Amino acid sequence: MVSSINTDQQILTALAAGDRVATAQIYRVNHPIVNGWLIKKGGTSEDAADIFQEAMVVLYNKVQDENFRLTCSINTYLLSICKHLWLKKLQKLHKDPVSLFDNIEDTEMGNGSYNEDINVHKERELHYEQLNNALDQIGEPCRSLLKSYYHQDKSMQQIAKDFGYTNPENAKNQKYKCLTRLRKLFYNEQAK
Amino acid sequence: MPFVNKIWETAEAYLNGTLSESDSVALKNLLNTDLKFANEFNECINLLNSLADSAKQQKFRNLLQDIEAENNKETKIKSLFTRIISITKPYRKTAAVAATVALLTSTITYWIVTPSIKKNNSQYNIISREVEHIKTEQKNQKIAIDSINKKTTLQPAPPSSVKYTGTGFALSNDGYFVTASHVINNGKFDSVYIQNQEGEYFKASLVAHDEKTDVAILKVDKKNFHFSKGDLPYAIINNKANLGSQIFTLGFPKDEEVYSEGYISSKNGFEGNEMQYTLELPAQHGQSGAPVIDANGNIIALLTAIGMQGESNTYAVSTKALFDLLENTPKINKIHFGKTTKFSKLSREQQIEKMETYTFSVKVYKK
Repeated sequence: MVSSINTDQQILTALAAGDRVATAQIYRVNHPIVNGWLIKKGGTSEDAADIFQEAMVVLYNKVQDENFRLTCSINTYLLSICKHLWLKKLQKLHKDPVSLFDNIEDTEMGNGSYNEDINVHKERELHYEQLNNALDQIGEPCRSLLKSYYHQDKSMQQIAKDFGYTNPENAKNQKYKCLTRLRKLFYNEQAK
Repeated sequence: MPFVNKIWETAEAYLNGTLSESDSVALKNLLNTDLKFANEFNECINLLNSLADSAKQQKFRNLLQDIEAENNKETKIKSLFTRIISITKPYRKTAAVAATVALLTSTITYWIVTPSIKKNNSQYNIISREVEHIKTEQKNQKIAIDSINKKTTLQPAPPSSVKYTGTGFALSNDGYFVTASHVINNGKFDSVYIQNQEGEYFKASLVAHDEKTDVAILKVDKKNFHFSKGDLPYAIINNKANLGSQIFTLGFPKDEEVYSEGYISSKNGFEGNEMQYTLELPAQHGQSGAPVIDANGNIIALLTAIGMQGESNTYAVSTKALFDLLENTPKINKIHFGKTTKFSKLSREQQIEKMETYTFSVKVYKK
C-alpha cells in the first residue's frame, strides 16, 4: 500500500510538469475504467473521452500546487471527478440523474471537495475563455505575436525575425504594447 | 527603475525573480503608496500569470489528445508503472484565479517556466529518411514471397540501394503524384519507385519540381496505371487554411503507414516563409511529402521539415506552391485532381482508410 502511494505521488509530480510518460500512464489505466463506467450509464465513448479529458485537466491543475496531496488514489479521484462531471452534464440536459449513482458511491459523493474542485475548474476555464476572447480581439500582429511568445515558446529573437522587427528589443517593445492592449480588453471582458 | 513607465518590464522581472534588492524595496514602497499603480501592477501580474498558465494548460490538453489518438491506435498495452519518471523540472504554483494586491509581502518564489528556458536557434531538418540495406532486402524478400503467393505479375523491385525515402500522395488517379522535392534529391537520382500498401513497386518519372518551395510532381510510368477505382476522394485546395485548423497526416516514417494529427500553429512557416505553414504535429524522418489534410478532407499542404530536436514545430509547404508549379508546367495540361472532397462526413478512421490507397512510400535510388 505504501509503495503504491509513493508511486502515485511520483506520477503526480511528473504529471504536474506535463510529463508525457506519466500522463500516458494515468490515461491508460483510467480511461478504460471511465469509459466502461460511462457506457454502462448510457453515455458514449465520445462522452467518456470528453469527460475524461476534463477530469485530467482538473487533476493537472490541482497538482500544480506543490503542497497538494491526494487523499485517495488517482483512480478513485479521477473516477469521482468524472462521475460528478457526468452528473452535471446530465442535469444540464434535464435528464434524470437518480439512476446514476449506486449506494456505495453515494457516501463518497457526500464529500464536497470534488464539487469544489470542479467549480474551481469551471471558474478557471471561464477565466481562460475570457483571456482567449481578448486575445482574439486585439488584432494582428498582436495576436500572433503574443501567441508565438506564450503558446509556441518562441524567443524574442525568433519573433523579431518572424514579424520583421529589426531587433529583439523592438519586438519586445511591441510585445509590451500588445500586452497593454490585451490588459484593457481583458479587464473589459471580465467586467461584462 | 522608473516603474510606472516600465510596468511590464517590472512585472516580468518581478515574476522571474530578477528584480534587484533595491528595486524590490522601491517597488514595494510604491505599491504601498500609489494605489492606482498598485492596481495596474496587479492587473499586469495577473495577466502574465494567466497567459502562461492558459498556454501551459493548452499544451497539456494537446498532450492528452495526442495520447488519446495514440491509444486509440494501439492494441497492446505495455506494462504499467515500470518506467522511471524524471521529476526534475521545476513547476510553479498556479496563479490563483483572483490574486491579491499584497503581492510583495508574499515570500513565494515565482518561476515562469516557459519563457526562461527558451531555445534560440531554431534549426530546420528535412524529413526524408535514409535507409539501411537490410530492411529493404527484407521487404524485397517479402514481396517476392507475396508475389509467389498472389501469383500476380509485379514490377521487379529495384536492385540498387535506397538512398532516400519519403511519402507521396496521388494528385490524380491516373498516376500523377506529389512529394517533397528534397525526397527525390531535387531531381538528382537514378530512379524513383513508389511502394503501395500491398508492397508493390511502381517505377516513376519526374514531371516537375521546385527546389525552392520543395514540391515535386511525378508520374507512375506504367501504362493505364490507376491508384484505385474512381476519382480521388479528397480535394486539393489552394486556400490559405486558418490558424488553429485541425489537421492530420499519413506518412511512412517506417515501412508501415503512420497517422498523426495536430493543428496549424502559424500561418507562415520557417522564418516566416509564406509558402509554408507551421504545424503542431509530430513528424519523423520519412514523412516528407506526406499530405496535410484538414478535417473536411481537403489537402492543404505537404510536410517538408521539422524543427530542432525537442521542438515540436513541423513545417509544411502550402498547396499554393503546388498550384504554382502546375501553372508553370505546361506539359501537364489535364490533370484531373479532386476538387470536391468526398469524405467530410466520414469518421476519421474511415477517412484514413480511404486515404491509404492514395498515400504511399516514395523510394529514391542512387548508385
